[in-house]
Amino acid sequence: MNAMRPKRKLRSIAGKAMTVIFLFLASVFAVAPILWAVLTSLKSPKEVALYPPTFFPQHLTFENYLGAVINNGTYLHYLWNTAVIVVAATVLCLICSAHAAHAVARFRFRGSSVLMFAMFSTVMIPGVAVVIPLYLLSVKAGIYDTVLVLILVYSAWLTPTLVWLLRGFVLVIPYELEEAARIDGYSRLGAFYRVTLPLLRPGLLAGAVLIFANIWNEFLLGYSLVQSETARVIQVGIYANLTEVGVQWSRLTAAAVTAMLPVMIIYAFLQKAFVQGLSTGAVKG
Amino acid sequence: MAISGARELDDLMQLDRSRRWRSAAFPYLAFAPALILIACVSFIPIGYAIVQSFFRSSTLQLGRFVGLRNYNDFFFTGDGFGSFENSLIFVAGTVVLAVPFGIALALVLNKPILFRGFFRVVLILPWLVSNLVGALLWAWIGNPQYGLVPYLLGKIGVTMPNIITDPTAAMASVIVASVWASTPLVMVFVLAALQSIPTDLIEAARMDGASPWRRLWRVTLPMIRNTTLMALVLTSLHAFKSVEIILVMTSGGPNGATETMATKIFHEAFTLIRIGVGSAGAVTIFVLNLLFTMAFVRVLKSEHGA
Repeated sequence: MNAMRPKRKLRSIAGKAMTVIFLFLASVFAVAPILWAVLTSLKSPKEVALYPPTFFPQHLTFENYLGAVINNGTYLHYLWNTAVIVVAATVLCLICSAHAAHAVARFRFRGSSVLMFAMFSTVMIPGVAVVIPLYLLSVKAGIYDTVLVLILVYSAWLTPTLVWLLRGFVLVIPYELEEAARIDGYSRLGAFYRVTLPLLRPGLLAGAVLIFANIWNEFLLGYSLVQSETARVIQVGIYANLTEVGVQWSRLTAAAVTAMLPVMIIYAFLQKAFVQGLSTGAVKG
Repeated sequence: MAISGARELDDLMQLDRSRRWRSAAFPYLAFAPALILIACVSFIPIGYAIVQSFFRSSTLQLGRFVGLRNYNDFFFTGDGFGSFENSLIFVAGTVVLAVPFGIALALVLNKPILFRGFFRVVLILPWLVSNLVGALLWAWIGNPQYGLVPYLLGKIGVTMPNIITDPTAAMASVIVASVWASTPLVMVFVLAALQSIPTDLIEAARMDGASPWRRLWRVTLPMIRNTTLMALVLTSLHAFKSVEIILVMTSGGPNGATETMATKIFHEAFTLIRIGVGSAGAVTIFVLNLLFTMAFVRVLKSEHGA
């Protein structure tokens, strides 16, 4: 027995070392491209063209951020467009899905299960299968190449997921609260606004994070439904830079790093609410 | 309970007829805005794509009816089968690497380990980066002329094949970028499932003298089976419809070696402006998606029954 002990201990130490090495390598894989882009964006274009490449910038410079982002009116305009679209689509999507989620969680009405099934089945429709008809339909509706078309399409695209998420939140709020409000003379809608909606706040917050990250990072629909720079979103703006002749990697990485910051910042602030919210919505769903 | 409660309350409050009618209509009205939005971007476009796939049109007007010619052009004339094969390779490569990798990370992160919080944050980062930007970062790090990876490999005496001109290397590079982007989701899913396993179950297995490996294979993995399946399906569906990674890194090249069905639809519609042919591809990818999902639901259901 005693002879076994040190051996087992050794083995457990070796196991722990292996785990840490594995985690370290995985982290390098996860971070390397991001870190390399950040480093590139802080080098001068001349330094970026050097071979062998330098790891850390010889002369730290912010000229790429100045040139590609801060003094670049077009880029700032893309950022502004994306922000407007995200905010409007989030509001629209939350309004529609909160009402729908409340209806399906509280009432079993004729056709409710069919409606739910039809709605959730759309989650499985790949975006690339509907870009062509959406493009044609938006031209016919006269909203092609506007901010409006993206607001509508994005909010609709995320509504099924949000209904599913918020439904879980409505289910954990006691129905008795709404009943009490109705006996006090509120209508169904009034009871929902007065009692249930304020209690839905954590769910709405988690949903908002989900919507924000999805829309901010979306490319395909933004590319197909908007052509001019007036309504262009940030991901498409970066892609347009990439396809230009003679890519300037120092400036492009500065633009890319700027584009990924907002989602990371939002996630850092709301991570707890987001994870908690998702587990509530999912478990009770 | 709540549902019958609602009806009783109506009786209790002795609502008159018109208020009762309003009461019955309420859930439909509450559901309507969401449904209208979804119909406009999902049901109607899919129907429209099906119609369009039987017509030859290069402008916005519906051209002339051509039967199955578009499907023929997509698959036979336009090498759609080749793109389907590339899709399978791309999806399989992503899933085979990302799912075990994500599970392994989740298993390790579920244990009390040094700097666990730090690792959790770092390993989630790729998930927050858009596919487009992620692909751009990989294109830069693997750039044959100035990239970091070819340089480092060269230093240890390995010549990395050119990811822009070599077909196999091109496919490998887009799979690596796809694995990078997909792993965090698997990890987060599995981690959540692991945390919901009751600890006394694992403890009981330990008391019975089961070795760590046995505990893993016999207790932990079976408990996270459904979540793993779910993560697998989501990862495959995502890779199957993915456009951005390939568009940015290889644009389907060299010579179509990385052209998947999804990028082919994109190119048909927006580069070649062959709306009908693109729609034929879109309908096909939609049907394949549907079949795959239905098969998955079947598998889940049969396992619940067993």
